[in-house]
Amino acid sequence: MRWIFSLLGDEVQREVPLNEAQRHAIAEWKKLPPPDTNQPHRLTRYVVADVEASGLDMEKDKLISIGAVAVVNGLIDFNDSFEVVLRQDEVSANSNILIHGIGGSAQRNGMDPAEALIAFLRFLGNSPLVAYHAFFEQAMIARAMDETLGIKFEPAWIDLDWVLPDIFREVIDEQVDLDVWLNFFSIENIQRHHAVSDAYAIAQLLQVAIARGAQRNALSPASFMQIEKSRRWMRSG
Amino acid sequence: MSTSAVQMLVAATTEFLCRHAPFDRMEPEALTFLVERLKLAYYPKDTQIVTPEMGVVTTFHILQRGKVLARQSGDLNVLDYSTMTLGPGEGFPIGSVTAQRASTNSYVALDDVFCYELAASDFLELMRQSSVFNLHCTQYIVSLLNQSRQQLQVQFAQRAAEQQTMNSPLTTIIKSVPISVSPESTIRKVIETMANGNIGSIVVVDNENRPIGIFTQSDVLKRIVLPGVSLEEPIFTVMSATPQTLPVSANAYDAALAMATYGVRHVLVVDEGDRLQGVISERDLFTLQRVGLRQIRQSIDGSADTDMLRQAASDVRQLALNMLAQGVGAEQLTQFISALNDTLTRRVVQLNLDRHDLGGIEWAWLSFGSEGRDEQTFSTDQDNGIVYLCPDGMAHEQTRMRLLDFARDVNSDLDKVGFPLCKGNIMASNPELCLTLEQWEQKFAAWVRTPEPMALLNGSIFFDFRTLFGKFSLAHGLRQTLFDLVRGNPLFLRMMAENALSVQPPLGKIRDFITDADPEHPGSIDLKKFGARLFIDAARIFALAQGVPNTNTVQRLKLAGVKMKVATHEVASIIEGFSFIQAMRLRHQHLEQERGRPGDNFVRPDQLNELERRILKESFRQARKLQQRLKLDYQV
Repeated sequence: MRWIFSLLGDEVQREVPLNEAQRHAIAEWKKLPPPDTNQPHRLTRYVVADVEASGLDMEKDKLISIGAVAVVNGLIDFNDSFEVVLRQDEVSANSNILIHGIGGSAQRNGMDPAEALIAFLRFLGNSPLVAYHAFFEQAMIARAMDETLGIKFEPAWIDLDWVLPDIFREVIDEQVDLDVWLNFFSIENIQRHHAVSDAYAIAQLLQVAIARGAQRNALSPASFMQIEKSRRWMRSG
Repeated sequence: MSTSAVQMLVAATTEFLCRHAPFDRMEPEALTFLVERLKLAYYPKDTQIVTPEMGVVTTFHILQRGKVLARQSGDLNVLDYSTMTLGPGEGFPIGSVTAQRASTNSYVALDDVFCYELAASDFLELMRQSSVFNLHCTQYIVSLLNQSRQQLQVQFAQRAAEQQTMNSPLTTIIKSVPISVSPESTIRKVIETMANGNIGSIVVVDNENRPIGIFTQSDVLKRIVLPGVSLEEPIFTVMSATPQTLPVSANAYDAALAMATYGVRHVLVVDEGDRLQGVISERDLFTLQRVGLRQIRQSIDGSADTDMLRQAASDVRQLALNMLAQGVGAEQLTQFISALNDTLTRRVVQLNLDRHDLGGIEWAWLSFGSEGRDEQTFSTDQDNGIVYLCPDGMAHEQTRMRLLDFARDVNSDLDKVGFPLCKGNIMASNPELCLTLEQWEQKFAAWVRTPEPMALLNGSIFFDFRTLFGKFSLAHGLRQTLFDLVRGNPLFLRMMAENALSVQPPLGKIRDFITDADPEHPGSIDLKKFGARLFIDAARIFALAQGVPNTNTVQRLKLAGVKMKVATHEVASIIEGFSFIQAMRLRHQHLEQERGRPGDNFVRPDQLNELERRILKESFRQARKLQQRLKLDYQV
């Protein structure tokens, strides 16, 4: 999944117009040590993220919003959640608005993209990121970070799309749509295709995964990453 | 932290909580306080969520999805069946969080469970902030009942309002298609029609269905029998011509006014073409008004025959419904129904005394079973008997025959009034139940000394005796004998306790309720057998053991509770549980009868609302508490 970064050239940092406070915030974030992914689940703060974009083309479409919910000590704390709508100069197509429900004026009145992304970095800290079909979140956020903040964004991602069918293989042993798992665990999605709502639902899937992982000796973020890695390798072979 | 995300998650949680008691009525600020402090946790199936071993409870849980099994542990473990299932919206463990101690119960996830969690310190703060929540935690059943009572009131108020207002348009009062005949019909045919249909009046219409006259039951005597008019004459010769009519747009008040003005008992309702649409009787309007207790008593006392008493009996039911609608509790309501039924029965007995000479005999009319306990519901048959003393110098057999003749008439009249004959023949006209005091005492002694199953069953019916009419002192003597017998035969109460414990509250281990006990009524619970009777049986044993002479279950629990030093609030909770089950039975029977079905006791939990299901569950838990006490007291 590194192809997108190699396309952009390895060490090339873009020159982007940022003010002093923004440069400082980015520097602070860069100073954070990488997460200790061998810590047990209960000592880990996971950040479950979901994005809405103007379309599904990861190279051309724009990042419109990020929703995120933290899972700390296996618990979802509503106060530890995040949402931002990035200001768009060009509003996305109507058909697209119908999916995520972020209307034209909401898009135009969104937060300055640089501020929005910095806010997300602050919320994220150095927590491991979790998503469902993570490559999309990963690509959209990374491209925005690159274009807007001029940084390489390569945090640790855990993709439940791969982890769940491994630890619940007696139920579903393949990559499926998010709704399949939500239905199976009767997790209600408050508002499908809303970044926070989807993140909240995926966070509940993460809770399920943590509990199941604890029974399967998958006791840390690193073990989830290992599961994902080996499953990807098995399936690609 | 980002406010819009928090708001969305908080709103979703608030919406969930507002579907459940007590959160649905919690003060808005307190609810906000609560929701902002909740976290969501997940427990896979079979996880122990709270156990006594975990020490002082630090977290209060509100179940969001899935089911949790609560099981009592520790010293009370002998009572192996003390478990209950919690469902979405229910919180635990209330007692130990409040008291800041370890839980006495263990809580295990029955399936995959999501719980909202609140820190114990926030829980205590919430109790301070919210009186609703405080009441819920400290007086769980009371708070649920308050809510349910309000629901019940709303539910019935509408029906009562529809039935009661004098502004109701006549179209809503007309009950059925009016029976009409042509002017040329013979009197014989008209009277036959009336007799077969059991109708009080018949309208005579022309060939355009326009009313031209009315003929009523009371006309039969005055206009046909006494003047000796031939039954082959056409009806128009004896009918009341030009009857009072009102347009369909008129209301009940107009009808009442017409009746009062013209001194008539019936008003015909016609459409714009003067065609007959319906008949309104004085009786129809009477039920619109709030039938008062006093009027009913007066009408019972003034009734000269069973027809009038039957009407009074149906008024009793109407009044009971109104009371149910006004939120009167089951305890008062069942007592009230019993009191009026007592009055009815006394009147029937009195009317028969005019025809039977019982001079010289000391006797009393006894009621048994639910009537003996003052706990009658809408569906009630006869349970009665006679106790008497055989006067000196009077042949015993002859006395007995006189009493039996009398009893037969009373039983048959009671049947006509609306108390069906007892299928089990528990009636005074049964020679086995029309006995001298001495014979009753021998009967009781035999049951108490040899507590075989039939004797225990009899005890559960006959030991709840109460005098309705006649010499009260006879029953008093019988009660004293009964207490002496019970004291002298400890095995009897033990056997009664064993018998009482053979039926357990229908609380399921996995599901909330056990609803398949009766294969003929799947999905339902017999609230008499598996509900009310659990309380009634236990209360009877406590009363007999403590020498409490009362027969009413609530009274027995209160008085025996004092003697047994049970905390008042515990007794109160048990009584609330019993009353709720009685109220459910009353409501169910009423609705059944309204649909023209015999009122049974089979209530379907899936047709109750969530609040009612929870109270019902709690009520069964109270029954189980009573049974636990029986178990301990009698070591069975």
